Amino acid sequence: MRFNPSLTSRLRIGFLVLFALLLLVSLLGVGRLFQVRVNYEDDITRFSQLELESERLRSAFILEQAAARPAIGQKLPSQTELNRAAANFSEAAGRAHDLTGDEAGLSSSLSQLIANEAAWRKKVAQPLVNGNIPSPGLESRLTKEVTNSGDALATGTRSARDDSRDDARAETRNTTLLVAAGLAGALLAALILFSGLINSMRAPLGRLVEGARRLAGGDLRTRVEVGGPVEIATLGRAFNEMANSLERDARERDRIEQMKDDFVLTVSHELRTPVTVVKGFAEMLTAQRKSLNARQYEAAEVIAESSAQLQKMINDLLDLARSDAGKLRIEPKATPVEPLVQRVGRQMRPHFEERHQRFTVSVENDVPEVEADADRVAQVLANLLTNANKYAQEGAQVRLTATRVGDEVEFAVSDDGPGLGGEELDHVFDRFWRAQSGETQEVGGTGLGLAIAKSLVELHGGAISANSTQGEGATFRFVLPIAKDGQPTRTEPASRTKAGAPG
Amino acid sequence: MTRLLVADDSETVLLMLERRLEMEGYDVVTATDGFEALERLREAGSQKPDVILLDAMMPNMSGTEVLEQLRIQGSKIPVLMISAHLDAQEPDRMRSLGASDCIPKPFEWEDLIGKIEELAGNPPSDGDSSPDGDSRPDAG
Repeated sequence: MRFNPSLTSRLRIGFLVLFALLLLVSLLGVGRLFQVRVNYEDDITRFSQLELESERLRSAFILEQAAARPAIGQKLPSQTELNRAAANFSEAAGRAHDLTGDEAGLSSSLSQLIANEAAWRKKVAQPLVNGNIPSPGLESRLTKEVTNSGDALATGTRSARDDSRDDARAETRNTTLLVAAGLAGALLAALILFSGLINSMRAPLGRLVEGARRLAGGDLRTRVEVGGPVEIATLGRAFNEMANSLERDARERDRIEQMKDDFVLTVSHELRTPVTVVKGFAEMLTAQRKSLNARQYEAAEVIAESSAQLQKMINDLLDLARSDAGKLRIEPKATPVEPLVQRVGRQMRPHFEERHQRFTVSVENDVPEVEADADRVAQVLANLLTNANKYAQEGAQVRLTATRVGDEVEFAVSDDGPGLGGEELDHVFDRFWRAQSGETQEVGGTGLGLAIAKSLVELHGGAISANSTQGEGATFRFVLPIAKDGQPTRTEPASRTKAGAPG
Repeated sequence: MTRLLVADDSETVLLMLERRLEMEGYDVVTATDGFEALERLREAGSQKPDVILLDAMMPNMSGTEVLEQLRIQGSKIPVLMISAHLDAQEPDRMRSLGASDCIPKPFEWEDLIGKIEELAGNPPSDGDSSPDGDSRPDAG
């Protein structure tokens, strides 16, 4: 397996290396600068002392000259004074020798001076003290040599001091530059290290972000490629585990949903046969009124009504279950609006008459054909009208209209009943929901009618809506698309006669 | 008197249909599957039924199989198929198999009587029998 340190150890190593480099460069630089400074100070002190000693050597030589050749008219040359001056000279020369150190130029200048002085003392001073006058040429030459070599030592010392100062400056500058370069190098190394770290995270983090977005978008099969530093890889694995769990849950939910749909479908299907039988026999009994006594007839009638209600409910449930399972099929074709609306109106009229409600049906002239399954649209209209019939009070007015609106035909059922509140309107298309106001306790029905109406209208590619103000009635509207090449509705003779009949 | 042959696999449904149709004044013969329906037809001899009501889905031999058999034999007796399928294409499918008409389960009693009367060739009754005779636009 490839070496793949964790994010924390990468960071730790990075900081450690950076810190060590900075410390090393700083310590080396400061140490070096300190050393340069100390050396410089040592040199300056040494050269100052050497200068002092060369002055002393000069003075001692002058005293030696004075001892060997005193000023005229003063006193005689003195061996004692010469010896004392010579001793001073030697002492100074010894100290100067210690100070020259490893400076070869100064060392040889000093040796030259000592040798010249020794030669002068031997050949000029000692003979003078002994009373032998040396030749003026020799004396002048040897004296000059001593003086010259003394000057040479003084000059050499001064120039050595200047050199030392220049060296120290140069050294300081170089060291400072080196430290700066070292610091810059350490920072650069750190930069490379950290950008490497960031780069190693960028790709896997990018994949995680993209994966999370895809997952949020609903693609539950999303998995990310695991990679990068240990922590990021762990995050990737955790992400994949989460996606696995989400997908498992979704599949389980789908399975349960499917089971529920199948269950409702099967149960309502199985219920249909016995209900049909009960309803059939009950209807048969009510048709034999003469052979039943009043109580028996009443019982038969209740059984017939209840089983009819049960049958309606089972059919509604089946419709919804089929709709949920995507098995509710419609067969849309160009359908004339007028006969359809009138037919439903005719079927519903007895219910309105029973409650003394005023029921009007109006279809706008030349309404085009709609692309629809006639039976299903009739079912929607019947559901809406049943609703109005039930919820509006006795004597209320209920209107059924069909008008063209743009590329669609709008069907509207409106009443001037109690209406619905805003909150109720939000739930009016929910399953098993029923308005809780007024006379509703005596209102039967399954609470499925409007939910089915909504499913059916949407299956047609239309839309349904409810409008109401509390106390001022309610209006339910839905629109259906106009049939391609649809003809305006012609009122057929048969339809006209029948439409006229009940009203 | 109009004679009917009714086949349905549910005995209670069959009993209900028999009693109600008898009450309506029909002469009813029943069968619980396709084989039995063909058997009753043979037994009937010359007293052939005027209309046959067949449940489309039955065990052993289904209504559609009986229908095919009848058409192969050249029988001209009108057949009314009773189908539990709510599929919009079902009536067309049944008709293409040779059914004279089709009524979906569950049905309103008046609708059933209306269709039987129509197939039996009886003149429409003047009363309340069928305001829904035209309730299926694809029926005509």
